[in-house]
Amino acid sequence: MTRGSDEQRWSRLMMNAQAGNESDYRLLLTELTAVIYNFLRSRFGDQHFIEDCVQESLIAIHQARHTYDPQRNFRPWLFAIVRHKAIDTLRNQNRRKKVVDNYHDELHVLSQAGRQSEAESELSQGDILVSLSPQHREALILTKFIGYSIAEAAEKLCISESAVKVRIHRAIHKLQLLLEADEQ
Amino acid sequence: MNNHDSLIANLSRNLAPVPPPPNINKLAMLWFCLSAFFVVVLIHLMGPVRPGAFLQLVEKPRFLLESLLGLAAILWVCQSAFRGAIPAALTSRFYAFGIMLMILWLAQYLTGLVSPALEPSMLGERDHCFLETVIYSLPLILSGLLLVRRLYPLRPIRTAMSLSLAAGMLPALYMQLACMYEPSHILTHHILPGLLMVPVGATIAMFWRPHRDMPNGN
Repeated sequence: MTRGSDEQRWSRLMMNAQAGNESDYRLLLTELTAVIYNFLRSRFGDQHFIEDCVQESLIAIHQARHTYDPQRNFRPWLFAIVRHKAIDTLRNQNRRKKVVDNYHDELHVLSQAGRQSEAESELSQGDILVSLSPQHREALILTKFIGYSIAEAAEKLCISESAVKVRIHRAIHKLQLLLEADEQ
Repeated sequence: MNNHDSLIANLSRNLAPVPPPPNINKLAMLWFCLSAFFVVVLIHLMGPVRPGAFLQLVEKPRFLLESLLGLAAILWVCQSAFRGAIPAALTSRFYAFGIMLMILWLAQYLTGLVSPALEPSMLGERDHCFLETVIYSLPLILSGLLLVRRLYPLRPIRTAMSLSLAAGMLPALYMQLACMYEPSHILTHHILPGLLMVPVGATIAMFWRPHRDMPNGN
């Protein structure tokens, strides 16, 4: 299926969804799930938060469906929402923390270094994260992907907590710019 | 994918039809025109405009240019605000151009401190121009927010800030005709209250976030 035919089909399905057609809407969301998942995976790698992000994006598409204008292209509308939700989910990401806590409490399986390298190997699959500076990437991985608290990350990086916060903030801002510049 | 399937099933169950999307440019123009009308009528009702102000627009090209630049900047920022309420309708270039126009307009009054477009005078001075600018902006901000929150602003605070800037600057611009012309007075009594509406609008938007429930009741 070509990009152009996808565009036209999604636009038509969304128009039908706006008119209340349930089956077309279900089909559209099912197709978009795979597209969103691939989009995020190609940029962020196989990260844990992607599942959340796909769901958040589907809900946002549902809430924003009345703003889709069939005279405009569907893809820019779709990916504007997805990009926004990706950054939003990343910013509010704290579920990974619970995963790390569980390891601490129950298994003590992975060493801290081991977990970091695990995340870094996942990271290598995400092209957009590689564009960050090593300092920003490190702060982002430790807090948002591995799940360390700001204090733990600061201790690990031998910098102050405010410096970690600044690095995370800048990393997310940079990701936002990179995603916005990303042509879909 | 099971989670996704059940989410999709929930979202598409009892799907309610939604109204067709508004033409965002027309909606922005409608808000702008009604707001401008509201401001002009109120200012005229609350006191006389500066004698000879309209004649100055014709006779002093720099004053006319200054006013037209202000009008263009406000209109552009207003369009940015409304476009920001539709995903992908606002490009960063369009947004940046509006801000640039606004800065260029405001720079006219800074230049005016040294070389004013009109001979500074206290003719037409209004007693409460600062307060008037603030008060006339508030209904504009609220009505604008009421419209944009029905859409889907991805950055609601930024959208509210643009809207409040346009709303604050509309009465500020008309005060150049209605009140005395003196650049330092313009900056402190017309432009400043207009700019102050930006944090006011952002604060309102922060506490009055769009209620994003499921349109089909899910």
